Amino acid sequence: MFGLKADWSLDVQDRYFTIEDYEGAKPRWCTGCGDHGVLTAVHKVCREAQLPPEKIVAVSGIGCSSRLPHYMGTYGFHGLHGRALPFASGVKARRPDLDVWVATGDGDCFSIGGCHWVHALRYNIDMTVLVFDNAVYGLTKKQSSPTSPVGLKTNTHPTGAFLPPLNPLTVTLGVSNVSFVAQVVDWNPLLVYETIKKAHAHRGTSFVRIIQRCPVFVEEVHKDLQNDPSQILLLKHENGIPTNEAVERIYPNQREHDPSDWNAAMEIARNELQVPCGLLYHNPDAPVYDDWSSVGMGMSDEEKIAGINKALDSFSI
Amino acid sequence: MMRKLLTGNGAAAWSARLARADYIPAFPITPQTEIVETLGNWIDNEQLPARMVTLESEHSMITAAGAAAATGVRVFSATSSQGLLYAMEMLYTVAGWRAPFVLVNVSRGLAAPITLEPDHNDIMAARDSGFLQIHCADCQEVLDSVLMAYRLGEDERVRLPVMVNQDGFYLSFTREPVDIPDPGAAARFLPDYDPENIRFRASAPVSQAVAVLGGAPYSYFRYESHLAARQALEVYDEVAADFEAEFGRKREALEAYRTEDAEYLFVQLGSFATKAREAVDRLREAGWAVGLLRPRLFRPLPEEKIRQALAGRKGVAVIDQNLSPGRGGVLHAELASVLFGHADMPSILVSFIGGLGGRDISTEEFFEMARVTRRAVEDGKAPPPRLLYTETELREVRKLQAIANAERADLEKKP
Ligand SMILES: Cc1ncc(C[n+]2csc(CCOP(=O)(O)OP(=O)(O)O)c2C)c(N)n1
Ligand code: SF4
Ligand SMILES: [Mg+2]
Repeated sequence: MFGLKADWSLDVQDRYFTIEDYEGAKPRWCTGCGDHGVLTAVHKVCREAQLPPEKIVAVSGIGCSSRLPHYMGTYGFHGLHGRALPFASGVKARRPDLDVWVATGDGDCFSIGGCHWVHALRYNIDMTVLVFDNAVYGLTKKQSSPTSPVGLKTNTHPTGAFLPPLNPLTVTLGVSNVSFVAQVVDWNPLLVYETIKKAHAHRGTSFVRIIQRCPVFVEEVHKDLQNDPSQILLLKHENGIPTNEAVERIYPNQREHDPSDWNAAMEIARNELQVPCGLLYHNPDAPVYDDWSSVGMGMSDEEKIAGINKALDSFSI
Repeated sequence: MMRKLLTGNGAAAWSARLARADYIPAFPITPQTEIVETLGNWIDNEQLPARMVTLESEHSMITAAGAAAATGVRVFSATSSQGLLYAMEMLYTVAGWRAPFVLVNVSRGLAAPITLEPDHNDIMAARDSGFLQIHCADCQEVLDSVLMAYRLGEDERVRLPVMVNQDGFYLSFTREPVDIPDPGAAARFLPDYDPENIRFRASAPVSQAVAVLGGAPYSYFRYESHLAARQALEVYDEVAADFEAEFGRKREALEAYRTEDAEYLFVQLGSFATKAREAVDRLREAGWAVGLLRPRLFRPLPEEKIRQALAGRKGVAVIDQNLSPGRGGVLHAELASVLFGHADMPSILVSFIGGLGGRDISTEEFFEMARVTRRAVEDGKAPPPRLLYTETELREVRKLQAIANAERADLEKKP
């Protein structure tokens, strides 16, 4: 049939949001910092989804990356070092209508906030977690972080970091009830956008590790990977992160990977010779903690009083 | 001896080196980071035979520090602000273990709102932890105090961890000429750590885990910590005497500046004392009989010395670089309790809150505090606590608020 369907209707949107509606203060990250591109993608995803800015809460800890809430024209919460995830959990607990975004760093999330990281994944509260992993403590000016590669010269390890770096993907995948694990490099705008879009659409805790350049302190860490795209393993699947020809041309190493296959995801994550980009794991059916934490919302005072009376009645003799 | 231009952070690093600290658990935080970075650099370049281990947070850092000290090694660590507070649970715990080590705190205000700049709310929050506290006013003092702190904390009559406090930015990042003692002299003053009964011995293994105790034994051990901290008053004087004999510098528990015939005294902690001294000099030139008292030792508080120093004075201006919401300045409350009920104590103790979040205290404000205190003495009545704040500052903040309100109103107008 040509033309419009008989039952079509046109909802006139009374509000239409543009990128400017999601922009906050002018970013103060260094020139060339990978954080800029991620912020742009976040703004675009918000616009694409036409999220009312007043329903968005951007939460962070402390670090360069944690400045993100200042750059959003939405509600924001610049927290304490390591505490981004519990802040976000608190915001979401009795306000499931809010769209919660978390910006955190490799230090903020994997080091001082490590305990929250593991538990937030298990709680699987509906939020989008973006980990800006530049393999260094940036804000405090170049100290080793848990993901600093062996040999990286930092101010705490001038002759080179010596412990093998933590693998955020295997740790994340190892947590029970994990529901969404993706990885992307900051310098491919399309992939960044598509990854964040998919992460945001997932109901549950979407964990996105963003391999992020910090040209000021550790340019050498990502230079190789940037110059040699064959080190990247592009994950493809109809349920994965959409790619296009241009992206596929850049990254010759590709693999079909069904994101529902946890074992395959773990195998990919464990292979440290290649850097996977795409959706490693997705389980849309994992229990979501908000379903518990939001029980009883909107109860009237009468209902609450009736509940208290019922409890008191149980003491009567 | 060597004389070098050092920041407070540099001086702290040198002191750990001269103290021959063996284990240095570390976690970066502004404005402390330079201390552990300096030590890390020396270690990596084989200029310091110690081990620095970066941990994942200050909580782990203090845990590791206390646990290592309990195995009988000399431990040094440093932190600041949020880091000190994040370690709070462990501060009480390791002090309860009676594990001596030295922690340098570089004072910085606390969130929220977030600030990187100095005030004393962080160190005041640790006041009741069981750590002893030495507060410094210049970079030389940081170096000296760390060496003294090891002697004090490791003394078998004390056996408590010690915090040495320096103000962020004002000391941590300010270069001053500092005498760096010869390692030999430092070792004479501070011999190797002899942990005695807390050494691990194959012949006599004992569990270091502390049992869960009921009220009576619990009270006993808590009070024992208090008594140990009180003993530190006497031990401190011995240590200071030895320090002076070795290095020629007087590092008294209570520093007095031009107090001999003073009728009015400023009392305060930390580096603003250098500005207070200058203000005292100028007020003296103008004919005011004023002086300055600066407790270096804040835990234990040298109460008897404070009473002696304040006896017969007319009025005291207490300057707190901290704020206990709902109460006011912590030092003011402490001083009042030290003086109350004793004969010949000044009856006027005026409370000033200043220097929060890195705000300066100007010389003019010292003059104003002296004026207010003298007036209070004349009126026989202390005015309510006062925040040091200028009209210009208030106008600036009001302006920012107005802009924020306008922006908010603008937002609310949007559909
Ligand atoms: C309790 C506490 N300890 C230490 C710090 C100091 N600190 C601020 S940011 C930071 C590390 C930031 O690294 P990361 O999370 O990787 O963020 P980046 O700056 O690299 O984006 C540290 C150690 C702090 N703010 N609070
Ligand atoms: S220091 Fe590094 S991470 Fe921080 S803003 Fe600059 S480039 Fe980005
Ligand atoms: Mg980082």
